[in-house]
Amino acid sequence: MPEQTITLDVFRYRPDEDERSTIQSYDVPYYEHWVILDALNWIKDHVDGTLSFRWSCRMGVCGSCGMMINGDPKLTCAAFLKDYFPRAIRVEPLVNFPVERDLVIVMDDFMSKLTSVKPWLIRDDTRPMEEELLQSPSQLAAYKQFSMCINCLLCYAACPELDGDPDFLGPAAIALAHRYNLDSRDQGTAERQDILGAEEGVWGCALVGECTAVCPKNVDPAGAIQQAKVAVTKDWYKRLLLPWGKR
Amino acid sequence: MRKPLVQPYPKDWFLRTRAYRLFMLRELTSVCIAGYLVFMLWWLYQLGKGDTESFRSLLSIAKHPVSIGLHTIALIAAAWHSITWFNLTPLVMPMRIGEDRVPNVVIAIAMGYGPWLAVSGFILWATLR
Amino acid sequence: MSHLTKTNEAFWWSLFSAGGVMAALFLPVMIFVTGFVLPFMMGEDVESQRDRMVSLVTFWPVRIALFGIIFLSSFHCAHRIRHVLMDFGLRWAGVALMICCYGAAAAGAVAAGLILVRL
Ligand code: SF4
Ligand code: FES
Repeated sequence: MPEQTITLDVFRYRPDEDERSTIQSYDVPYYEHWVILDALNWIKDHVDGTLSFRWSCRMGVCGSCGMMINGDPKLTCAAFLKDYFPRAIRVEPLVNFPVERDLVIVMDDFMSKLTSVKPWLIRDDTRPMEEELLQSPSQLAAYKQFSMCINCLLCYAACPELDGDPDFLGPAAIALAHRYNLDSRDQGTAERQDILGAEEGVWGCALVGECTAVCPKNVDPAGAIQQAKVAVTKDWYKRLLLPWGKR
Repeated sequence: MRKPLVQPYPKDWFLRTRAYRLFMLRELTSVCIAGYLVFMLWWLYQLGKGDTESFRSLLSIAKHPVSIGLHTIALIAAAWHSITWFNLTPLVMPMRIGEDRVPNVVIAIAMGYGPWLAVSGFILWATLR
Repeated sequence: MSHLTKTNEAFWWSLFSAGGVMAALFLPVMIFVTGFVLPFMMGEDVESQRDRMVSLVTFWPVRIALFGIIFLSSFHCAHRIRHVLMDFGLRWAGVALMICCYGAAAAGAVAAGLILVRL
């Protein structure tokens, strides 16, 4: 154990015992090279094995370790203790989600939002599987940024508009829909437009912009949503002016 | 058995972080702009009367400290709206040349600050010439 | 996430955006003109000041431009104010809120049209 320690004030909720959440403080050894996830794992290994939280890769790839750190959504495997030391660190589950237990959030609603935008290549032809769909580097560049999402949900925790309308599709799901709409191999834009153009789609967004600010993968979901608004609006006028035309 | 806990969201979220406060500030420029638009209607109406007396009252009101104060507030709000609007333009309308994205500053200047300068300069020239 | 609500928000958003551009480009300089140029930078001769202002504003392209600016900027403000009020917790007011905000903007636009035609 090093001489120095740091305090973690951790959000606890045990559904089998608790009606409300509580805050439990732990003193954790302080190492400069430790991230908050290391500290949580130390607590779990040495102090309190019942503390629950999600993590896997420890390198910002799996997207499972997102938590509120002093009120800001962060990947705990990428948030160093030294950036907070010597003050205590408040660790809470991501906001805008129900809490399953301790730092674990319920993701069911997000999962259904994610699948509702049909995040796969939609083709209206029936070409044989072995036939390749070619794509040029610039066609790839058109959507690549929006395909980097790791579903860490930091953007959902950063979005105040989700509180007003919990059915709002939200940043990551819209960014993913936009990613497929921009893909030169995809032909499903019209199918996705119904959901993107609904009140629960892009119109839940007032462009606060914090989703883009907190995204650890530089996905720019706020940009994706605005660009999708433009596309949906063009589509709306097209339907108005050419109601008989094919969309 | 699952018993998910729903945490209440703070009703005053827009005061909580600097980013949220800046967002609200941006949105509230619309209140100042709306106020100015109402003034603009009255101003045009007054000008439309055409006689020297109504124009004199227009002038004396414009010289009043209250008018100067309100115009200053409106000017700051409108300029803040312009700046935030132009800065967000590249987000809404990104452009690419081949594989490369046109830098945000270039878009903001070409589609925002540049025309802003031209329009403002032209209108000032037209009124002052 | 189970239901989808159809909406014409695209229409209001297009007005909001067009108005945002108009307001961003024109309003700062217009505020400067009515607030500072007219009272302090146009000399002392009231008659000539009036003549210059009137001839400027009655020039037809200027009337049309002013109408476009006021009309679109009004809807820009109406849309933003509506969303601010929703953020402040008035989401439940729904259509009533829309009628108030966009109705006020429409009234402003009509007034602008009448005033500008009769200038
Ligand atoms: S868009 Fe960014 S912040 Fe949102 S889930 Fe994906 S990686 Fe995380
Ligand atoms: S543990 Fe995988 S992203 Fe943090």
